Amino acid sequence: MDKIKTLKDRDIYLDLQRERKVTLLEVLDRVLDKGVVVSGDIVISVADVDLIYLGLKVLVSSVETMEHLRGVPIQGPMQEPT
Amino acid sequence: MKPGEEDLVYLYCVTEKAPELKWVEELVNRLHFVYHRDLYAVVSIASYDEFSEENLKRNLSDMGWIKIKVDIHERIIERIMEGACVVPFKFATLFNSEDSLKMNLEEHAEEFKENLRRLGDKEEWGVKVYCDTGRLRNSIVREDGEIFKIDREIDSTSSQGKAFFLKKKKEELMNMVVNKKLNEYGQDIFNRLREEGIEVRINKLLPKEVTERKDEMILNSAFLVGKGRVIAFISIVDILKAQYNTLGLFLDCTGPWPPYNFCQMKPANGGAH
Repeated sequence: MDKIKTLKDRDIYLDLQRERKVTLLEVLDRVLDKGVVVSGDIVISVADVDLIYLGLKVLVSSVETMEHLRGVPIQGPMQEPT
Repeated sequence: MKPGEEDLVYLYCVTEKAPELKWVEELVNRLHFVYHRDLYAVVSIASYDEFSEENLKRNLSDMGWIKIKVDIHERIIERIMEGACVVPFKFATLFNSEDSLKMNLEEHAEEFKENLRRLGDKEEWGVKVYCDTGRLRNSIVREDGEIFKIDREIDSTSSQGKAFFLKKKKEELMNMVVNKKLNEYGQDIFNRLREEGIEVRINKLLPKEVTERKDEMILNSAFLVGKGRVIAFISIVDILKAQYNTLGLFLDCTGPWPPYNFCQMKPANGGAH
């Protein structure tokens, strides 16, 4: 971060980070699916997020199939179903 | 201005320190903070055209739009996170006015402060584990005595019928062993990582259409790690990467993230917990 002096440096730095992080996968997994939810005047609902998954022609059942395939779920704290 | 075309207040995150907005303020319209009850809420002015309930629904069907907007959401929160602990909000948390936002801050002020205290000196890291089942199968053929034996029988038999049944038997056995191994490896990886995790989460597995990878996701986990333990955490990841690489497993570790997975809100408020 010390090397960042100009907006251009900053952009290069962020682009590198973005390349690493904000893939479609992380978008869906965190920014859309997680994060604090308060009763804002407009909030994306779980149904909306599901619609986005559907928009990707992803059948939620394929996720369930995979979990089933893997057999016994890994023991640990689970997120509430979303 | 016609009624209904008024702007909306888009909330990114809440902090207890005056947020540094330089570098990211050009990404959105009027990025600023609203100060209330010793909290700084980082907000921008979002256009009704894009974010009204109806327009947002339409835009959510456009993956190109989502990617751009979510990227901005993430960049702004990460920028604030450089200088302060944050409570990150879900994409598109919108209020009709700053007064409406302040009412919300009033209602949740103590919860936000409690989260900020809890998350203060910690970072969120994500570890996703993928498996190239082809490679895993190869390693099983090499190591599993019974499967190796069947393989040799298949090679040595001259009867097509016998070979057919042996192959079927091998396939059934193989599927069983693959599942057993995946469970064992996934559990081992998770157990070793959680040693450095103050809090941990296992999230749902995502299919290939979302991961855009050829191998299958077998573990999707998030860890809240003390800032002083991040190096130790990453070295465990590196050890596991090396250990499991030959078995066809790949660990993808990303961070530090805003603590999307570890903010706790009262369930009554429809919180993340």
